[in-house]
Amino acid sequence: MADNPEAMPECDSESSGARSRKPASNTATEQSDPPEGSMFECNICLDTARDAVVSYCGHLFCWPCLHQWLETRPNRQMCPVCKAGISKDKVIPLYGRGDTKHEDPRERLPPRPPGQRSEPENSAGFSSFGLDGGFQMSFGIGAFPFGFFASSLNFGDMRPASPQPGTPQSEQEQFLSKVFLWVAILFILWLFLA
Amino acid sequence: MSNIAVQRIKREFKEVAKSEEGAKCEIRVELVNDSFTELRGEIAGPPDTPYEGGKYHLEIKVPETYPFNPPKVRFITKIWHPNISSVTGAICLDILKDQWAAAMTLRTVLLSIQALLSSAEPDDPQDAVVARQYKENYDVFLKTARFWCSCYAGAPKQASNGFEEKIKWLTDMGANEQVAIRTLSSSSWNIEKATEELFS
Repeated sequence: MADNPEAMPECDSESSGARSRKPASNTATEQSDPPEGSMFECNICLDTARDAVVSYCGHLFCWPCLHQWLETRPNRQMCPVCKAGISKDKVIPLYGRGDTKHEDPRERLPPRPPGQRSEPENSAGFSSFGLDGGFQMSFGIGAFPFGFFASSLNFGDMRPASPQPGTPQSEQEQFLSKVFLWVAILFILWLFLA
Repeated sequence: MSNIAVQRIKREFKEVAKSEEGAKCEIRVELVNDSFTELRGEIAGPPDTPYEGGKYHLEIKVPETYPFNPPKVRFITKIWHPNISSVTGAICLDILKDQWAAAMTLRTVLLSIQALLSSAEPDDPQDAVVARQYKENYDVFLKTARFWCSCYAGAPKQASNGFEEKIKWLTDMGANEQVAIRTLSSSSWNIEKATEELFS
């Protein structure tokens, strides 16, 4: 029955979005009363979105509304408008100006996921000297491929997390590190003997 | 009822009234009580279907958890359709069950039900008797649906198919008129079969 074209909600939301564009242009004149068919209504409570988040499929919600929707159906995490797959961490918060916080902290929901923010491209070249990107220092004895004996001091440098114990990947890595340990011991012995 | 539900129903109420379909009187909603928990919907039978010209009344119950859960909708007006129970008016429509999404509104629900009237799904039936007739004897299904539409939904009377005579024959024998119509419809207007079912 889902292939009933009229029954799908997408077409409706599209058309109402198209219709709403006109009144949104004269918001300045009717600011006290939220204009009918505003573009910035939450798709769930139909009110102006507060703690606004937008899904990757582009639909706007209040964070409390979307949170409750996703809690209501834990096994079917889908966008209430277009039924795309969504999840609590895959939404983008919208931070507007004039956001006044006057809510009871006891009633707070889990906070919105933080915005994804990347540093601007650094075209200044040498002047930055890598200090803002993290500081890294290594020292130790050992020749190039046998860095395992070297200890490192790394700050602000995310290393990939070690794999879960028990998985084939962690077994492989342990095997590799043993092999390199033996190679290094043999190499040092050879240095002493030579 | 929670605040968000009331707020939303109020807005949706206006939306239906202002919509294009509302202006053409294709869909309508009205309040039953002041608490916005129960509403009365009305849809026009879509053109080029046996339901054309009929007005169908729907009972809409808004749950406490609306819009996170769908409204409960059933037909009050009797209707002969594979996906709607001819006895209780229960509707088999996915968006009123597991395919509900919080962005749907009274307007989209009413339009979806109207669309269901023009495109039945006999393979996913609510009323097995109607669905079998739809698949095996489509011509009789059309005539029966049209007869029910003029009987119960106020559509103009169609050319007589001899249905009235058969109903009168059964009511003269002491059967209730509604029961007679249902039994005759279910037995594809075979009077012997209907009589046997009613009186044996």
